[in-house]
This record gives sequence, structure tokens and C-alpha cells, in this order.
Amino acid sequence: MNRKKTSQLGQQIVFVGPAVLVFVLIILIPFVSGLYYSFTSWNGVSGEVSWIGLDNYKHIFMQDTAFRDSFWFTTRFTIIGVAATNVLGFALAYFLIKPLKSRNVLRTVFFMPNVIGGLLLGFIWQFIFVKGFSAVGELTGLAFFNQPWLGTEGTAFWAIVIVFVWQTAGYLMVIYISSLNNVPKDILEAAEIDGASRWQTLRTIIIPLIMPAATVCLFLALSWSFKMFDLNLSLTRGGPFGSTESVAMNIYNEAFSNNRYGLGTAKAIIFFVIVAVITSIQVKFTKSKEVEA
Amino acid sequence: MKKNTKLTLLLLLAMTLLLAACGGTGKSPNAGSGGSGGGETKTLKIFQFKVEIAEALNRLKAEYEKEHPGIKLDIQTVGGGADYGAALKAKFASGEEPDIFNNGGYRDLETWLGNLEDLSDQPWVADTIEVAKDPMTKDGKIYGQPMNLEGYGFLYNKDLFEKAGITDVPKTLSQLEEAAKKLEASGVTPFANGYQELWVLALHGLNVGFAHQDDPNGFVQGLNDGTASIAGNPVFEQWIKLLDLTLKYGNKNPLTTDYNTEMTMFANGEVAMTQQGNWTQVQIDGINPNLNIGILPMPINEDAEANDKLYVGVPNNWVINKNSAMKEEAKEFLNWLVTSETGKHYIAKEFKFIPAFTTIEATSEDLGDLGAEVVKYSQDGKALSWNFNKFPDGAMNEFGSKIQAYIAGKSDAARLLEDLQKSWDGLKAK
Repeated sequence: MNRKKTSQLGQQIVFVGPAVLVFVLIILIPFVSGLYYSFTSWNGVSGEVSWIGLDNYKHIFMQDTAFRDSFWFTTRFTIIGVAATNVLGFALAYFLIKPLKSRNVLRTVFFMPNVIGGLLLGFIWQFIFVKGFSAVGELTGLAFFNQPWLGTEGTAFWAIVIVFVWQTAGYLMVIYISSLNNVPKDILEAAEIDGASRWQTLRTIIIPLIMPAATVCLFLALSWSFKMFDLNLSLTRGGPFGSTESVAMNIYNEAFSNNRYGLGTAKAIIFFVIVAVITSIQVKFTKSKEVEA
Repeated sequence: MKKNTKLTLLLLLAMTLLLAACGGTGKSPNAGSGGSGGGETKTLKIFQFKVEIAEALNRLKAEYEKEHPGIKLDIQTVGGGADYGAALKAKFASGEEPDIFNNGGYRDLETWLGNLEDLSDQPWVADTIEVAKDPMTKDGKIYGQPMNLEGYGFLYNKDLFEKAGITDVPKTLSQLEEAAKKLEASGVTPFANGYQELWVLALHGLNVGFAHQDDPNGFVQGLNDGTASIAGNPVFEQWIKLLDLTLKYGNKNPLTTDYNTEMTMFANGEVAMTQQGNWTQVQIDGINPNLNIGILPMPINEDAEANDKLYVGVPNNWVINKNSAMKEEAKEFLNWLVTSETGKHYIAKEFKFIPAFTTIEATSEDLGDLGAEVVKYSQDGKALSWNFNKFPDGAMNEFGSKIQAYIAGKSDAARLLEDLQKSWDGLKAK
């Protein structure tokens, strides 16, 4: 009995131990120290760390309009980004489970943007928006291409949305494809025999059956767009005039260019709480929609 | 079963030890090398920010190691304003502290003061040009060695000016507008505005307003204690007129024009003027080595004498980590850099720096047209100061956004100055 217990413990340590260790080292400890710094006025460099209680949080809620603006930007971006990537990802998946000749090639092509890093993508698209679009605009005279895409608030917002959707839709497509392949053929055939239209099949059979995939995809898209930083940095750097500054970027700037590490971590903690709450609500909600065939 | 468990446990233990070992070596980078005997080589870690000289530094490293057996230099370069600061902080946070790094002076000096070695007793201090000591001086002590001097104004294309029939160099705002009109009439865009770059606007651009104050230091002091104000200040109102002028006669889409685009337009002769400094010489030579260029002052009003000046300052300084185990070696290296023949040669001929030391000679062939012009202006005493390193931390982003909003037509001149004032007040706190 005793031997069995130690062996059990040994197995736990062996299988879970490394993961726990890594988790503690690179997530838990930095998180706790971040929590501590959020109550201080540390500048990120000096040896002097003075405790100031809740002043950082007060400052954020009472005075910091830039943080509020960046939150509003991120919220708008998240709503549009999550909807657009999921719709596009699902649409691509829906068409790419059809027996097309170029199916595999197309799947690869749509997935490809995800393989390239966000920073690189941002620089590539910056070139496209600034040089490529204006060249096309000069040739064709179309107003769409002649706008300074990264130079006005509205277009810069949409520029980031376009690149984000283009980058992530392929990944969600893969998840949706695997889920769509798992929809039992007999149910689809039965529906067809009963005379259900394509739209009816999609709405009442396929979508309910792929809800587990939707849970995952929504969660991923939600957390990606909330935490977006690299695209933002390389595409607009928060400009023009700070209108496209995401929360992650606002936190980074506060901590590292404004040299207010304490204030930056306080923002990060608030941000963490909000993202955690929203994503758990979303997971809970979509999970309740999952059904079994 | 039992044997297997033991084996895996052992593996796990080995892994944790490995991790611990990684952490351990990170904490004290120089402990081992510092305490070693004479036979072993010591490594001096240098973390610097000037991308332009990275290659020449590597050649310098070879020469230094040849002259100093037993010392190895490990030079790392990370370019770009805020990113260097963040990278440096990351280095310190992870325990990988460099022995020698860079500091911009003034505000940056305050931030890093606790980590800097006092260099007041170094032999090169006596040879340093007086103004170049300023950024790194605190309570009478000197904490850094100036890297070089740089100057900026409007770069201009002399051939295009001649073609447009401009004979006299414009020294007042109205003369500048006159010149811009003539240039436009000759079919050339007068200004290239790289206003996507926040440093062009918020550091070099805005500095014009600070440098033209009667007492720039006093003005900054006044802003910090609330006795002075950007809003309503006549000099800043004049500076906005200059900004308006560059926009009126500038390229289209200034907010999406970055530094590279700006320089390419200028070097290809598409535009006649652009707000930049002598550091662009290398890049211009790379595109069009035969370009006939010079630097103009940036006039903000009609007083020719007061405006015929360039903005000259120290862009960066070498500093030594106070907690380094290799302080003496680091000091020796910095001393060698500015006193030995090899070091002097590199500063003038290879880095193409305008030296900040009276003992180093740089001819106009070494420096190029732009550098030579900056030297001429500063020797004639026609130089104004750089003040943007006295701005509060993070000011570049905030000020830059506000000025960009003005350019985009989201605010007017009075509101811009108020916004700048508000940003200053918000950032200076704490």
C-alpha cells in the first residue's frame, strides 16, 4: 500500500512536475512580483522601490485618459476582429471541405500567413499600405488606394483589422475544418432526404455540432486580439497620433518609455483581470451551446 | 516499475539542476572572469546603440584586442531610441549587466544615476569640449564620456537651389518662404517631411522652440516647477509657423513618410530640403555620393542674426557600470578610445564623428559636407542647444502624437500648445 502511494506520487512528479516547475518559474513568480510592483512607484531601473499603496490604481481610474482611449480602441478592435476572423475562418473551412481539386493547396495558402511572425507581417503590410497601395492608386486612380492608409485614424484602424484577420483566419480555418469533418455523414444524409435546404442544414445541424470548435476559436481570437502587440507595433506604432494604441502597447510604453514600471504593472494587472473575466464568460457561454449528435 | 521511477526522477533532478545552473550563471556575469589569474582572458561587455558605427566598432575591437592581450571585447548593438532603453533594462533585470553602455544625459542620467561610475578623475575630462560635458554632469561630477557632437537644421540641395535661382541662403522665415516658392515654381517639392517619425517632430522639431528661449535650462526648470508654460509662449507660436511652412510646401502624406522615405526623396533630388542632421551623410553617400548639399538654419522669425544657427549637441555618452567587476579595464578602454592614435583615428576617420574632444582633429574630408558645415557653425559660436534629453521620460511619444494630431488637422495652434503643456505636466509628476 505504502509502496503504491510513493509510486503514485513519483508518477505525479514525473508527469506534472516539469510543467508545474516551468509554470511557476515563468508565469507565477513574474505575476506575483508584478503584483507587488504595481503597488510601488519603481521606475524600472533604480534600486529604490517605494511602496505607494493604491496610488497607481487611483491614477489609472481617475486621470489616465490615454489608457481609457487605448481600451476603447482595443474593445472596438476585438469585437470586429473576433467576428471577422471567425466568419472568414468558418467560411473558408466550409468551402474547403468540398471536394475541390485545389483543396490542399488552398488550405496551405490560407494557413501560410500564420507561419510568418506578426512583427514581420506588420512590416510587410506597412510596405504594402504605404508603397504598394499608392503605386496601385497612381496607376488606376481609384480613391480606395489613394488614401494615406496608415495616416488617418479610421483607415489605420481598418488596416490593422485587415492584417489581423488575414493572419489569423487561416488558423481558425484549420480548427473548423477538423471539426466539420467530424460531423456525422448519416445525419447530413438524413437531413438531405428529409428535404432540408443547404442553409437549414448549416444552421440547425452543422453549427450546433461544431460548437466545441467555436468555443476554442472564439477564445483564441478573443485573447489574440485583446493582447495584440506585435502587429500594432510594426504597422503603426500606435500612430497616427496615438489613435491606434492597443492596451498592450500602452502598458509597454508606460513601463519602458515613460519609466513608470509600477504604473505599467498596475495597468497590466487590471488588463489581466478584465481579459480573464471576459474570456471565462465567453467560454462558459459557448460551452452551454455545445450539443452531441 | 520501481527502477523506472527512479530513473525518471533522476532525469527530473538533472533537469532542475540544469535550470538552476542557467539561472546561476546569469546572476554574476563577471564574477568568474574578474577574479581569474593573469593568464586568463577577461571579457569586457559593451552594449551600445549607434547602429551606424557597429561595423567599424568590430574592426576597432580587433585592434584593441591586439594591443591588449588578455582583454576581449564583447560588443552588442541595439539601435533606436526607446528600444535601446528597454533592452538595457532587460539586461539589468536578467543580471546580464554590461560593463560599458550608453546614456543620453540629463533625464536619462537621472534615471540611471544609481548604476553609473563617477568618471570625473579620468584624464580625458580636461580635453572635453565644455558644452559636451553638460549632459552628463550632476552635482559637479561627470558620469559619462561624450561620444561625439552632432548638428541638425534643414539639409538642402545646393544644385536645386541654384536651378531655382536662389542666390542667398535664407536666414529668416520670410526668406525661407520666398525660397520655397521659387523652388516650387521650378518644379521641385521644397520640403520632405518625415513626420511619421516621432523623433523628427517631437525631439528635433520641438527643440527649436526650447532652444530659442532666452534661457533654455531655466525654461525647462520653470516648466517642471510650474512657473513657465508652453501654452501662450511666443517662441512656440513662432515655431508652429515654421511647421506650417514645411507642411504647406511639403510632400503629400507627411504622416506616413518615414525616415528612409524622407532620405531617399532627398538623396534622389526629388525634394530640395529636409529637417535632418549630419548623421545622414553616410546614408546619402550610399544613395547618391555626388549630391551637392549643405545645412540651413531653421528660422522661426525675421531676426536674421538670431536665426542663423544650427542645433548642436551630444547625442550619446559612454558610461561605466558602477557594479561591474571590470571597472578599471572599462576605464582604460574609454581612455584609450580618445587618447591613443588608433582610437582617435577611428573616431575621426572610421566613425566619421565630429569629435567632442579638443585633442582629436577631424578634417572636412573625414566628416563630409554636412559635418564640416556643423563644425563651422559651432566654431563660429552659431550653435543652439539640444534640449530634448531634458524632456520628461516618455515625452517623445506623447508630444509626437499631439503634433501629429495638429498636422492631421485635429487641433489648432493654440490647442496644440495647451496639449503639449498638459502632457508635460502629466509626465513630470512622480
